[in-house]
Amino acid sequence: MREILVEPLARVEGDGGITIRAEGKKVHEVRFDILEGTRLVETLVIGKTPEEDVSITCRICAICTLSHRYAALRGLEKALGIEVPPKVQALRSLMHLGELLESHSLHVFLLALPDFLGYPNAVAMAEKYGPEVVQALALKKFANHVMTVTSGRMIHGENPTVGGFGKYPEKDILLDIARQAQAMIPFAEKAVGLIAGLSVPDYFEDDTVFMCCEPGDDGFGLMGDRIRISDGKVVDAKEYRTLTNEKFSPHSAAKHCLYQGKPYTVGAIARCNNLGERMNGLAGKLFKKHWNKRWLRNPVFNNLAQAIEMVWALEQVSKTVDAVLQYPDDPPIVKPTRQSGEGVGSVEAPRGTLYHAYRIQDGLVAEANLIIPTGQSLEDIEKYMRKAVEILLSQGADDSAIRLQAEIIVRAFDPCISCSTHMVRFERHDPR
Amino acid sequence: MERKKLDIGLYGFTGCNGDQLVIIHSEDKLLDFFASANIRSFSLAKSDNEQTPLDIAFIEGSISSQEQVEHVQEIRQRSALLVAIGNCACYGGIQAMELGREGWDRRFQSVYGENFFEVRTPIESKPIDAFVAVDFRLPGCPIDADQFFAVYSSLIRKTKPQMPDYPVCAECRWRENECLLLKGQLCLGPLIAGGCKAVCPSHNLPCVGCFGPVEEANVSSEFALLKEKGFTVEEIRRRLRIHSGSGVLKSLKNLFGEV
Repeated sequence: MREILVEPLARVEGDGGITIRAEGKKVHEVRFDILEGTRLVETLVIGKTPEEDVSITCRICAICTLSHRYAALRGLEKALGIEVPPKVQALRSLMHLGELLESHSLHVFLLALPDFLGYPNAVAMAEKYGPEVVQALALKKFANHVMTVTSGRMIHGENPTVGGFGKYPEKDILLDIARQAQAMIPFAEKAVGLIAGLSVPDYFEDDTVFMCCEPGDDGFGLMGDRIRISDGKVVDAKEYRTLTNEKFSPHSAAKHCLYQGKPYTVGAIARCNNLGERMNGLAGKLFKKHWNKRWLRNPVFNNLAQAIEMVWALEQVSKTVDAVLQYPDDPPIVKPTRQSGEGVGSVEAPRGTLYHAYRIQDGLVAEANLIIPTGQSLEDIEKYMRKAVEILLSQGADDSAIRLQAEIIVRAFDPCISCSTHMVRFERHDPR
Repeated sequence: MERKKLDIGLYGFTGCNGDQLVIIHSEDKLLDFFASANIRSFSLAKSDNEQTPLDIAFIEGSISSQEQVEHVQEIRQRSALLVAIGNCACYGGIQAMELGREGWDRRFQSVYGENFFEVRTPIESKPIDAFVAVDFRLPGCPIDADQFFAVYSSLIRKTKPQMPDYPVCAECRWRENECLLLKGQLCLGPLIAGGCKAVCPSHNLPCVGCFGPVEEANVSSEFALLKEKGFTVEEIRRRLRIHSGSGVLKSLKNLFGEV
């Protein structure tokens, strides 16, 4: 019996891990462990006001804090019979674009790319790719600026609130954001070329199902009340339970999801596969140039999908700024029209569809159900990893090759950041 | 004479990683930060981390499993100073808003059912000082970058950091905001530690309390004031407990006999 425990990192954190157990060429187990501590957020919001709920649930994640806030606001406002004016919607779209750019730039440049270029981290990568790393950091900084301006703070800003915004950003600041976004498009385009040039192995390819919000306006987008599935169905987000069928997995603090008993994928690759044809402008050109049928069977193309989405988001920023500024008056916060009701808020977080479902009774949260993107893709993460490990073992690959491939597959899905930095635990039981 | 560089470690336990991200997002200061000390461990930012004796350990997040208890004890043993950063580490964070009440087992079961974790032994989430001694607390959800770098600079020069001993109200007045309490809103400003630059009141929104309680806040007179404004004790207590975790248990107990 041989046991190999590879821990690239001395026992720190341990938010996520990969466990592979094999005997000879036979795979016993391949799993992605989410070890993040439990917080029981769904139980904490019970008995709280809608405003308090928003302040609590955004704190689930520091990277996608605004997606949580957005999903919560949409779910709660539906329950309370609130319709926000177009200026509020436009400013929310802008904050959401800022977050997409922040999250994608961090993942594509600092987390995923070093794997492909053969570096342990982005700082080491900077020796050969200095200008790229500097520009990637500038893009991330710009995205953080958009989040700060719209939400009031870089992380967990409280400015987007139930019924509107506490305060609206000044015109000059918004115009400057639009200018900066335009100036960053050439770099984002170059990044698409760089990532498109990386070779993506094909031996673990397999069919799956993709899901994302249907924007409902024939355009590409990050929000909608219906869910588009790659099998052709379009389903009301209120039916989220039948779509996601959460199940508990004993090795994960996140709950796994299945669609009709099968694994599925959410995130940039799902959005591009389901809606990419609708992109216009430079992003549309890049999508048509780079998309091919392998995207439907290979999660590693998620990196390229994110890169193309960054171009789309940068093009979208100036249009969205214009949409905000076309309404000179700042609307007051819209009050609830009822104190009891139900609502499901669905938005596209950078990593995929995020649901916040609420029942409000007499002005307080009576029931809450939150379904996060990483939980929805978990089954597919394990499916693709398992296939890769089986094939690599049959070819007699060594531990480090298996570990790198498993890490590349998991990272491509962009699971929450603390899980994606360092994660492999490798156990091999060989009869000898 | 050049100062000897200190050995520093940054660690994250249960939370959203927002405090470490505040540091990483400070791009302009990040290179100076890495140059100012030997950063032995910072798992969110780098991969070649070492388990060595430390002059200062900065810890984010609350403790929510038996394995984390052992890990934080191990860090404490090899660290001369331990600094809790962020509300989760200082007071337990949002996941500690029910501390001091029964029902964690029931809530855990309602989310995860009867199943158990193969890889972790979950416990009710608590702040760092429930398990090891903490030398300094830097609260905030998330921490304020300027405050972090000011405290950090003091510590690496081995001087005592200055922490705000005034409530959010003081910062709110410096920014010349209209008082939201006078407008009838449930603003926690008088009870909450400054450091955020009164960000929410400056956006016309009441303070949600995300920096935790200010030391020596007169909780009883603030409750009386808010009651006068028409809010119930239950409303005030519920809102205060969301972000203040273990930090208000004592004053609530003194005031009401229960938390």
